[in-house]
Amino acid sequence: MNKNLILFLGILSLTFLFSRELSAQNRSISGKVTLATDGSTLPGVSILVKGTNIGTTTDLEGNYTLQVPSGSNVLIFSFVGLETQEITVGSGRSVVNVIMEEGQTELTQVVITGYHELQRRDVIGSISSIKSERFKDLPVTGFDQALQGQAAGVQVSQSSGTPGGGIAIRIRGNTSISASNRPLFIVDGTPVFDGNITARDFGGQNDNSLAVVNPNDIENIEVLKDASAKAIYGSRGANGVVVITTKRGRNNKTTVTADVQRGIVELVGRPKLMNSSQLVELQREAVLAAGQNPDELGLIPGVTDLVDTDWISEVLRRGILQQYQLTASGGTEKTRFYFSGGLRDEEGVQLNNRFTRYTGALNLDHTVNHRLKFGSNVNISFSQNDRVKGDNFLDGVYSGAIKSLPYYSPYDEFGRIYVPNDPNYAEFPNFNPVGQALFPRFRTYGLKIIGGLNVDILLAKDLKFRSRASIDYNNSEEDQYEPSTTAIGGYLPSVGGKGYGVYSTTTRYTLTNSNVLTYFKNFGESHNLNLLLGNEILHSQGRESWVSGRMFPNNQFTYINSAGVVDQGGSFYGQSGLVSFFGEVKYDYQDKYLLGATMRADGSSRFGKNRRFGYFPSFSLGWRLSEEAFMDNFHQLDDLKLRASYGFTGNERIGNFQYLGTWASAVYNGNTGVGPARLPNANLQWERTNEINIGVDASLFDNRVQITADVYRNLTDKLLYSEPIPLTTGYGNIQGNIGKVSNKGIEFSITSQNTNGELKWTTEFNITRNINRVEMLANGDTLYRGYTASGVGATNAILAGQPLGTFWGLKYLGVDPATGDAIYEDINGDGRISTEDGQVIGNAQPDFYGGLTNRFSFKGFDLSVFFHFMYGNSVLNLTNGGLVNAGEEIETNQSVIALRRWRKEGDVTDVPRYELGNTFNNYHSSRFLEDGSFLRLKNVALGYNLPSRWVEKIKLQSLRLFVSGSNLWTLTRYSGVDPEVSTLDGSTAAQGIDFYTLPQVKTIQGGITLTF
Amino acid sequence: MFKNIAQCLAVIGLITIGSCSRILEPPPVDLLVDDLVLRGPDDMEPVRLGLYNAIRSFGSTTIFAGDFTADYIQNNGTFTDFNELGTKNITAANSLARTLWGNIYGTIYIANFIHENIGSVARVSEIAKKDLLAEAKFCRAYAYFIAVHTFGDVPKVETTDVETNRQIARTPKSEILEWVRQDLEEALGILPLRWDADNASINKQFATKNAVRAALARYHLYQGEWALAESYADSIIASRVQSLDSSYVTVISTEFDSETIFELAYANSSSDDPGTSSTGLNNILVGRREVIPSNNYVQQIIHNNAGTRRATISFNPNNQGGRDNGWTVTKYGTPDEGNNNITVFRLAEIYLIRAEARANLGKVAGALEDVNVLRKRAKAPMANFTTQAVALNVIETERLYELSFEGHRWYDLKRTNRLDAVMNAFSPNWESKYNLWPIPVTEMQTNKLLTQNNGY
Repeated sequence: MNKNLILFLGILSLTFLFSRELSAQNRSISGKVTLATDGSTLPGVSILVKGTNIGTTTDLEGNYTLQVPSGSNVLIFSFVGLETQEITVGSGRSVVNVIMEEGQTELTQVVITGYHELQRRDVIGSISSIKSERFKDLPVTGFDQALQGQAAGVQVSQSSGTPGGGIAIRIRGNTSISASNRPLFIVDGTPVFDGNITARDFGGQNDNSLAVVNPNDIENIEVLKDASAKAIYGSRGANGVVVITTKRGRNNKTTVTADVQRGIVELVGRPKLMNSSQLVELQREAVLAAGQNPDELGLIPGVTDLVDTDWISEVLRRGILQQYQLTASGGTEKTRFYFSGGLRDEEGVQLNNRFTRYTGALNLDHTVNHRLKFGSNVNISFSQNDRVKGDNFLDGVYSGAIKSLPYYSPYDEFGRIYVPNDPNYAEFPNFNPVGQALFPRFRTYGLKIIGGLNVDILLAKDLKFRSRASIDYNNSEEDQYEPSTTAIGGYLPSVGGKGYGVYSTTTRYTLTNSNVLTYFKNFGESHNLNLLLGNEILHSQGRESWVSGRMFPNNQFTYINSAGVVDQGGSFYGQSGLVSFFGEVKYDYQDKYLLGATMRADGSSRFGKNRRFGYFPSFSLGWRLSEEAFMDNFHQLDDLKLRASYGFTGNERIGNFQYLGTWASAVYNGNTGVGPARLPNANLQWERTNEINIGVDASLFDNRVQITADVYRNLTDKLLYSEPIPLTTGYGNIQGNIGKVSNKGIEFSITSQNTNGELKWTTEFNITRNINRVEMLANGDTLYRGYTASGVGATNAILAGQPLGTFWGLKYLGVDPATGDAIYEDINGDGRISTEDGQVIGNAQPDFYGGLTNRFSFKGFDLSVFFHFMYGNSVLNLTNGGLVNAGEEIETNQSVIALRRWRKEGDVTDVPRYELGNTFNNYHSSRFLEDGSFLRLKNVALGYNLPSRWVEKIKLQSLRLFVSGSNLWTLTRYSGVDPEVSTLDGSTAAQGIDFYTLPQVKTIQGGITLTF
Repeated sequence: MFKNIAQCLAVIGLITIGSCSRILEPPPVDLLVDDLVLRGPDDMEPVRLGLYNAIRSFGSTTIFAGDFTADYIQNNGTFTDFNELGTKNITAANSLARTLWGNIYGTIYIANFIHENIGSVARVSEIAKKDLLAEAKFCRAYAYFIAVHTFGDVPKVETTDVETNRQIARTPKSEILEWVRQDLEEALGILPLRWDADNASINKQFATKNAVRAALARYHLYQGEWALAESYADSIIASRVQSLDSSYVTVISTEFDSETIFELAYANSSSDDPGTSSTGLNNILVGRREVIPSNNYVQQIIHNNAGTRRATISFNPNNQGGRDNGWTVTKYGTPDEGNNNITVFRLAEIYLIRAEARANLGKVAGALEDVNVLRKRAKAPMANFTTQAVALNVIETERLYELSFEGHRWYDLKRTNRLDAVMNAFSPNWESKYNLWPIPVTEMQTNKLLTQNNGY
């Protein structure tokens, strides 16, 4: 929470309250206001004599003096974020000291929206707030992971169990086909880069640059969901905005907190594969069916299956997770600070996979005088990620282990790992997954700096100016060496069999400057006006370089300095920019009728001159019914507010220079010429989303129950899409604005304090239904995406009337009991199965998803139990395209599912017969599509705060112990290991594909937190 | 106070407007905008290199079509595309069809671009313009030649206009072939025998008069116009610009060897490496061994009559096991091995074209002479035939010995009407629809005027 700002608003609000002529001053009351939690003095608290205009505000030391009418008075003490108190002061009393408590109800919490902040009760946009307490015991690497299941309308999918790996966040569904669907992340006012910046593909699983921000430094997260809340971010707001506020110091004595956590990490489950003798039997059957002799192919029972290696067990381990953090915060009236340093070290479940992160934060606030304040925030994080290849990589570790034939062994009789050219090495395409894990070095160093400086100037009464400059700096260095004992370094002829080294660096940074004027005035008793005017300039740069070398003397030399041949490398530089102007008007009448309007104009370097600027207005209305007289009879209802908003947001997240027709370098025999690269489209323009939202906020039973419900309809038109065009044009695609996508949905969340005595029990529940639909595509095209698929073209399709993430394929009707062959639906009835029989077979969008959290606290104990669920989504189990491959090839181990294959006439089963080389029975079809619904016990955490009388004896302020477990239990019908995976990390058109993807991990950890 | 605010705002406003163009119009660093591509003398060579980069891009896929569709290989890997070719289960979704198609039309695009823009290039001699245009026509003709023999009727793309080429129907094969002949004959009159008096690699990596003659010789051979085929072959051999390598191993292991007429060139030890791409010949044949020589092919190439040409493949007992017969095609190496270039025309093919043309014209003795030129070089027993039928039979096998994995087999069997006979004996999955590759499914989806080939 940005304390300065709150303070300033407080002062401002009182300045005009106080500006009236004071009258009837009969006697004086004075006192000091302090904060309950730490005893610090509170400046800027407003004090009002009830029923009058008389009021004042506390000074920098928290003192106040007020002239009040004679007799008994009621004083109202209020401060943003704290519980308002009414104190009756008898005529004899002249000193009133007040201790204020932090807001217990959501209504008084501060919400940061756009470029300013306001109280939750005054919000007329759709905003979800997540306070740091909600994720403090979760073993999450990044805050994006922490959002899972915590807020309605926010869908978070972790792509795999890889530490530091990719996470997809969607707010109210996918709005775009090819521009990014990731929300805009703002940390302390700085737009930050998210996603992957590493250069090298690791088989689908990307790096995640948000994983380097320490979630423990975060105070709270606001998710802005509707147009009125996010249109102030216009240009980049279409996918929602996630506003993150880091912790800041307070005016009190220094508090030091030490936090230690340790745990173990394991896969949630393992695939069930055949053993050697089962596989030999199956492969002999497949070879015989193809009319060949299995003995000649070396498939001999009792010989081939003498070795039976469980490759999965060979490459997996139980990982250790540890995390340490030290924070100090505090300050004086003039200067406040928050300081933190942390270390997180997570061993992956795959051998040699490890993610280590060092983080530091320093936030400072300095008040020069009541007109001038400075603030700064710096978050630095450095990570070292030892990666392993996975998913769609033959030489991956987990992916390689699933596929590898059990006939081979990882070690020889002396315990030495088999390497290429050893007689018992499983040649291409199997390799040795253990060697693939242990021998290469795939080290990625990440550096992320988020830094900002701001100055606040009170220009005049009610008129405030804030200027802010910030940087988001991301750097990754990839230091890689694959020795001659690995598939690439030893096997690939183009590498030469003597090692392969790559070194690459990528830097992306964004400089932002924003200047904002705010004006706050109330007229008469009832009219409150809030104005905001600002501009922002944003400049982003990306720089890359890489070099690779081969032909190393031996495996002791692992850096490119020692490479015999260094002939590949490159460098690149790119930049983009935004220039924006924005304004906002907010008005309310007696806090009963609320009105808002925003407007933002954005110019982007990504569009041509004639379409450069996009304009994004929004309007919103709020009506606090509970203030109306006719609602007086509803005593249980503390607050009831209806809100509605309408507006536009945009998206420009495509590559640079897409509007230009260009040629790029083309090499012939080492000489460089030019070849066509892209078709021009001078009319390329902003993708625009039109959003309508209607919502209701209710607070009942002394604010013990809070309900929020929203209904929305978002329509994105002028979709940015690289439209495939026939290759006869000389090009494969043209960047255009080609269609419409809609998202309609309903969100509901409820928070209830079920019991409030010695046993406190709180339930939080949220559920979201989002219906995504491609409304229209130019030319009525169907666009094919995902993996290329045998027999049918592609695994995914985008077509009008279907959601994004639609699965495409043949419809599998089962196995012909007479022949054992697969039966597919012949849609065009031409008597044969061809690509024209491809059809929609399902989609990856859930019908609904959400989270349920129950928290209990009793005496010093606290317990939270958090479930996450998703229902109605399909998962494409492409792993089974290899593991139940009907004999297409015999280089891959098979799943135990293949035990129920068709074997003789009359067999009724769902798995076709096995015949070597038969691709027909393994065509891409709905045979591989499964229900991916799940209910998962995402987290259980049990904590105990030692009684203060014990801890005080050892000079501590508090001591907390806790244990927690994540992903402990899952209910699903999915036949693979884990439905919560996605091999194409971050993909929009091809989500929910399990292709040898590492399942999620379960973590059990314990920790201790000491406060001095 | 308000004066301060006004000043403040004015300064911010000025900064914003001042930085506007710098922020919003960054210059591209690795791209050339369309209008600047072909304007002056400095642009000629880059565009020429772009043209050859394009024609090179379908070198390997032409070999996949010519050799992998037929009986030389069996599949041994995990890529579905190669599996389909190996097991003769080719579908319209096969991405190799799309790659070949796309790279053919990519080449045609640049050729058409040169055709449309060459006239307006400033400060360049007419001779230089004619040369580049002739090279463009050669490349376009070769691209269409491969296109019609692979896909049958194909769209006739004559301009660079996107709207025209987006919805475009197929033109009969005969009409395209007529255009191919015209282009080649025009190029023939212009292109020199040599670009450089003493730089062999320049003369072999760019199209020369003999490359055009070779294209015309092959063209007329495919058309069954034997006399023309013979005469173009004659003129190449008579020009003595190329001469047979003394050893067949040189053909395999050396770039720009003396018998090459035109080869698609990759530089050695540079970033210009076809190596690990999914269509890189070395990667497919040697690295991944996605396909390996079929048992049927192995039996023929190790025959005594093949002589030293059995070096086309090699055997490694470590590879043997499962469906793997242990043999590997070694005609294409890595850049460092110095033989990753793809030969399009070389003198040995010209001898075989002449032999076949002569045999068909009844000049059996002349045909025998040509065949034995190659037998002698291969240190194999001399052939001996006296009848046309035996001659044609021997020549078919001789093409296997000499030209396998250079993209000929499937096209040869088609033009001699032997495809179904040979392939039915080879694979139980063979169907006569495989006399053409499918039109790529993505083209069918985006161009409504296209029709699919029979059976796909």
